[in-house]
Amino acid sequence: MVATVAILYLTTGVSSGLRGGANIVITPFSWAVNAIARPIGHMLAGTVNYSDVVAQNEKLRYQLAKAQERANEEWAYARQLQQITTQLNVPFVGSLPTVAVQVTRLSPTNFSATVGISKGRDSGILVGMPVVANGGLVGRVIATTANGATVRLITDTASSVGVTFKSGKSSLIVSGRGLNNGLGATAVPLGTSVAPGTKLSTDGLNGALYPAGLPVASVKTVTLTPGAATYNLTLQPAANLRQLSYLDVVIWEPAA
Amino acid sequence: MTLATLIIVAIQLSVFSGLRFAGVVIMIVWLWPLVMGLAGLTALSLWCALVAGVFFDTHASTPFGLTAVVALLLAYGASRLGREGVGDLDSAAWWVTPLLAAAAGFVAPAIFVGASFFTLNFSLWRDSLFAAMVVNAAAFFVLARPMARVALWLGNLGGSRR
Repeated sequence: MVATVAILYLTTGVSSGLRGGANIVITPFSWAVNAIARPIGHMLAGTVNYSDVVAQNEKLRYQLAKAQERANEEWAYARQLQQITTQLNVPFVGSLPTVAVQVTRLSPTNFSATVGISKGRDSGILVGMPVVANGGLVGRVIATTANGATVRLITDTASSVGVTFKSGKSSLIVSGRGLNNGLGATAVPLGTSVAPGTKLSTDGLNGALYPAGLPVASVKTVTLTPGAATYNLTLQPAANLRQLSYLDVVIWEPAA
Repeated sequence: MTLATLIIVAIQLSVFSGLRFAGVVIMIVWLWPLVMGLAGLTALSLWCALVAGVFFDTHASTPFGLTAVVALLLAYGASRLGREGVGDLDSAAWWVTPLLAAAAGFVAPAIFVGASFFTLNFSLWRDSLFAAMVVNAAAFFVLARPMARVALWLGNLGGSRR
């Protein structure tokens, strides 16, 4: 019980200070390990001039993903336009500024889907800002330092996103199922018209964590348990979360 | 030994956390105090479990302290066995240390998820728990003896056995 209280206390209060301090202590060791480990990896890759190819490949993948993202956004804008014609009170319309960042580290543990990024508070990145890449929503900033930040991916088990589809007529809550398991939605009412391939985007409802119109996922499978009154959905994230090298942080904060 | 533990944490963060097998991270920050306990370095294994766990937790977005709690439990259990000479690299059969480490690697992720309930976090089990258990068991089996040798060597350098 004491341990539980201590963990809760540390989780909520002192941990941010501890994290900062521990980062300062560990960073030199990480640099040293990186200094040893990376050249060995590059030496092996360099035998066939592989590292240049990898770097080029990452840049091309980034450019391709940007194009894919634009295509997906166009779809979302078209849907928004349709909404505007039917509703006058639209919470968010228009393009938002972004900050391009590089992924510096992946989640260090099995039980959280996060990535570290190369820019932080000094670049205007704040906790709560959405992150997009590879054709859709990637996640949300959950912690920042002066020159870095941590992004919780939408596939994290603690992540949930309000989404809409069918011209904004229907809404769902999409939950993360872990880094290796993608996204899902449970308890979808039978009256909801949803089929494999249906695209979902952020709903941007008042107080939502994300602005409206960001592509989130498409429906992969629809499961109906016999006798149940609801569907379960398996979703394919719009962004390719397995290939994250560069991301865009959307300069947008959720309403307080 | 504290310095060695910080280096282990750095290796975990810089190498093993990016080197996923079947999408699973191998947790050498748990294996390190475990093999130290099996090697009979009781007090050091507990200290290193705390240091490794806390420093690792500062880099993870899971509830703070959970990795340290699991590491401490593993170190305590291993040191109980280590004090009895079970898993001794020189006198026990070659497979005893790897097998004990594999068992620990199998249960450690489950303990982590179980402990997370006490922090009111009920979602961690949804991730690839079973895969994490199996991969860590296999990795601990392979890495246990080399890491135990390193732990023994460092322990003898400091003259702090048992």
